[in-house]
Amino acid sequence: MKISYNWLSQYTDIPENIRELADKLTMAGIEVEAIEAGKIIPDGIIIAEILERKPHPDADKLSVCRVNTGSEELQIVCGAPNCDAGVKAPLATLGTVLEDDETGKKITIKKAKLRGVESSGMLCSARELGIQDDHSGIMHLPKDASVGAPLNSIIKSDTVFDLEITPNRPDLLSHWGIARDISALMGTTLRFPDIKIPAVLKAEAAKYKDSVEVLNKGLCPRYTARIVKGIKVKESPEWLKERIQSIGLRPINNIVDITNFILMELGHPLHAFDLAELKGQKIIVRTASDGETMMTLDGKTHKLKSSHLVIADAEKPVALAGIMGGEHSGVTDKTVDILIESAVFFPPNIRASSRELGISSDSSYRFERGVDFEMAEAASNRAVSLILELAGGEIVSDLIDVKAPEREMPAPINCRFSSIRKLLGTEIDNQEIVEIFKRLGLEVSEINENSCRVDVPSYRLDIEREADLGEEVARIYGLDKIPALPVNAKMVSSLAEDAYLKLETAKNELISLGLCECMNYSMSDEKSAVCDGKFTKEDLVELKNPISSDFAYMRPSLFSGILDTVRRNISRKNLDLELFETGVVFCANKNLYPEERRECCIVLSGRKHPERFSSEKNETYDFFDMKGLLEKWLEHRRLENTGFRKADDPRFEKGSCAEIIAGGKYIGSFGMLAGNFTRGMRTQYPVYLAVIQLDVLLGLKDRNILYEPLSMFPSVARDVAFVADESLSHDKIVEFIMRSKPENLEKVELFDIFRDENIGKNKKSMAYSLTFRNSARTLTDEEVNKAHEKLRSQLASGLSVDLR
Amino acid sequence: MPNPIIEKISSALEISRQKLREAKTENDIEAVRVDLFGRKGLMPALSKEMSAVPSEEKREVGNALNNAKNEIQTLIDEAKAAISSVSSSASDEIDVTLPGRTWKLGKKHPVTMVIDDCVSIFRRMGFIVAEGPEIETVYHNFDALNTPPEHPSRDPQDTFYFPDGRLLRTQTSPVQIRVMESRKPPIRIVAPGRVYRRDTPDATHGMNFHQIEGLYVDRNVSLSDLKSILLAFAHEMLGPSVGVRLRPHFFPFTEPSVEYDFSCIMCGGKGCRVCKNSGWLEISGAGMVDPNVFKTVGLDPETWSGYAFGMGIERIAMIRYRINDIRLLFENDVRFLKQF
Repeated sequence: MKISYNWLSQYTDIPENIRELADKLTMAGIEVEAIEAGKIIPDGIIIAEILERKPHPDADKLSVCRVNTGSEELQIVCGAPNCDAGVKAPLATLGTVLEDDETGKKITIKKAKLRGVESSGMLCSARELGIQDDHSGIMHLPKDASVGAPLNSIIKSDTVFDLEITPNRPDLLSHWGIARDISALMGTTLRFPDIKIPAVLKAEAAKYKDSVEVLNKGLCPRYTARIVKGIKVKESPEWLKERIQSIGLRPINNIVDITNFILMELGHPLHAFDLAELKGQKIIVRTASDGETMMTLDGKTHKLKSSHLVIADAEKPVALAGIMGGEHSGVTDKTVDILIESAVFFPPNIRASSRELGISSDSSYRFERGVDFEMAEAASNRAVSLILELAGGEIVSDLIDVKAPEREMPAPINCRFSSIRKLLGTEIDNQEIVEIFKRLGLEVSEINENSCRVDVPSYRLDIEREADLGEEVARIYGLDKIPALPVNAKMVSSLAEDAYLKLETAKNELISLGLCECMNYSMSDEKSAVCDGKFTKEDLVELKNPISSDFAYMRPSLFSGILDTVRRNISRKNLDLELFETGVVFCANKNLYPEERRECCIVLSGRKHPERFSSEKNETYDFFDMKGLLEKWLEHRRLENTGFRKADDPRFEKGSCAEIIAGGKYIGSFGMLAGNFTRGMRTQYPVYLAVIQLDVLLGLKDRNILYEPLSMFPSVARDVAFVADESLSHDKIVEFIMRSKPENLEKVELFDIFRDENIGKNKKSMAYSLTFRNSARTLTDEEVNKAHEKLRSQLASGLSVDLR
Repeated sequence: MPNPIIEKISSALEISRQKLREAKTENDIEAVRVDLFGRKGLMPALSKEMSAVPSEEKREVGNALNNAKNEIQTLIDEAKAAISSVSSSASDEIDVTLPGRTWKLGKKHPVTMVIDDCVSIFRRMGFIVAEGPEIETVYHNFDALNTPPEHPSRDPQDTFYFPDGRLLRTQTSPVQIRVMESRKPPIRIVAPGRVYRRDTPDATHGMNFHQIEGLYVDRNVSLSDLKSILLAFAHEMLGPSVGVRLRPHFFPFTEPSVEYDFSCIMCGGKGCRVCKNSGWLEISGAGMVDPNVFKTVGLDPETWSGYAFGMGIERIAMIRYRINDIRLLFENDVRFLKQF
């Protein structure tokens, strides 16, 4: 909301320093979002009087004026149509620098000849001075302006604040409202504008007594109307135009400008109807009938519903209550008699209608937040007073005031001083608390040493409870005065209950394994969501109101997101990738997965040592790099019953894919990304990817660390080599050896695999080194040989391999 | 008197022996070889002269020539071997400026860095982490947090809904409700997590971002306690010179509500471009738990009091690392990720 400094200063004394005022407002909870400093009028612009106007001898559009500057008479050539004798206007004297607002160009006023006639200065339009947008002619100044004085002595440059008003404080949505809060903050006196209402023509007053009918008092708790006849609709005076232009409104005519002015002055929306356009000279406040239509003053036709409140005459709606007036009932140049509406509407209804009809106005903005019940009358009075002053006419009705009988008065609040102190954590005394309430316009009574009774004025809709009073005390007392005590670091629960520790640890482990963490959006399109072949559309959690179809589903897996990440990096020529992501994924099929679970994805692709040179530079990640990484991770987590088994999975190339087992459970899969996912990626390197059910992994119990004594006796090494079928896997061999339990065997390690024509097709030669050791003594050759021989023959018979 | 060719041979032998003894590089040796055995060298020339040698002397001269060839060849080989053994001992001197073989260094995402830093600071002050679902009920996300039915944040323009009426949480605050429903005070938790707003992604908005929420419920908790925890957090997170400012604000679930600012870490509060010359950086909102929230979860507001605060993780990350576009955080360009 825009607030003009000059305007605001009418209602209370405010700090002269703009910055100081902005800080005061900010610290009172009225955030200053922007400050637009007004244009400063240079001292060289003075008030001058045109004494004589003569046509220019050589130019039709120019005039030659004799101008009184107070100290001398000058000849000025002027191109404006309105530079008549007798007019007082701003004169830029010689040497004055004027700056064009739009172009920023500066011009210096110099003595010049215009078509042969000398001119010693320039008479200025409002736009040339950056005061208003009017460029139709030179600016006319008030008749009583003192000639020779600088213009800035009568026209003050203004500063406009853009304020953010929180939704709980509709009372601040006006200059008066802001002034009221400043007066509470600073203890200054408030000045309500003068209102003069003459006596009403009694003869006509009776005629209009019953012209307002409110059919739905729930939606319209108060409706007031006043009728003024014989007005003259015309342009507003300068001061009024200046006020409403200062906050960015466009002047229209005196009546409309007055209603807009009061809206911004007192925060109460008003509407002026052309009485001649009200059929039956009546106002009926009712809900629309379904399908009823009306055209608003912006020229749009709306189809209404029975929930929409309208202001109607005897025949049809003439305004959308509290939102916008009708096209045909408003004030025009021809209007002579008017009805001024000042009402209170039920906020939720205005909010709903405004949203449904897609119309938001300064009026609906205030009504949907709640206006001051009592202000309805004051605003109407203010309007009538201004209309009589600026448009003439006669007031012909009393205030026609239709109120809901059962209006709820806010209950008084019992305020315990100790509660306020406890809430704020500061020693503010009773008297100071009471003083703050009084400054805020709250009525304080029944004061004793423990508590007081507080009655809240009609404009403070946000104060209902003791806690609300506490907030007011904090606000006015000043949050900066509340001390920061030493931190209380009380431990009220154990770290074992901490929900993040496990995840945090897991992430740190992956980082220590050399992976870079990524983060992708949680939503995706349908095609990406099901691209991994693990989910169908029915398994997806679908949004009701997505931003677009590209983000219509909650991701069922991190797969497609990290795939996008890989694709994006490759397209940017970042080919060497070591990545991981952890995140929540979603599933609608409870038989498949819980609705929300955590997943982890790991990616390896590209060169292992791009930083090196020669042949080393060409080493690239392969299946066993990913496997080794996963093995180390599981080992670090001290998980038992871990392993890998061959698998078929649509996400991965056939034959280059495995399932990961930990704690005896399936926890994920990994492999070389299948060709249909890497198609089009401009990389020569295969992409290895692992998808892990992180919740399952983090839920596994880890092995306790129990120290095993170290043997101080030497180990003895033996080898065993044999030719086996290709189908015999390494883990089967190791498992067989371990199951055979050769005496004193400490360790088995594969050291060679070899294939060639001599061995035969579908055969491989495998060589293992065996380490024997005893914890209590040195082993003899014979006993090792015996165990070695036994194992050899067991392998030959048990696995049908050919020993070498 | 011997044949003049023999003399030429012996003098050539003498010179070559001398040169090879002094040879220091492969080039020196090669020069000797070319002088003797090259196409225009001495040996081929002498061989041609053999035809002019009288037949009775041919045998003697031929032998001398062959012996000389053999001897020189042997000397050349030895010289080469000697030089290569010298140079191989020189190659033990490695070029220490060659690139090292990198031990892969993983990187935390900047969002995670900020979350982890926040969590560790609050853990130190006796908080533990609590979590809640990202798909929330309207009750936990709005109703129980005292949000009026007509509050604009509920609008489907701003909040993602599911056909069953639930929503994607718009804040981490529903975790407050879940925690107060499930355990008895005193409660001291922080809740980091992903939240969602129906914003089209731009430089400062995303469909999803991260928050961390704090809640302390106990007897006699005051606004002063809130101020002290925020000040302590600011000092731990950004340094001991950082100041904290509270400004009154409005949130449905706290009363009083405040917004809090940290003094600008760029200019130290003097005013600069980053803080828009105010000297303060807006961080987020906080306040004292509203009595209505306590009533909703079945706690007596006369007995229990508490504070709650929240902050945007991305906002802090963007301030801390001077990231000017929030979308960079979700692009995952490794050149970006590796900077952290």
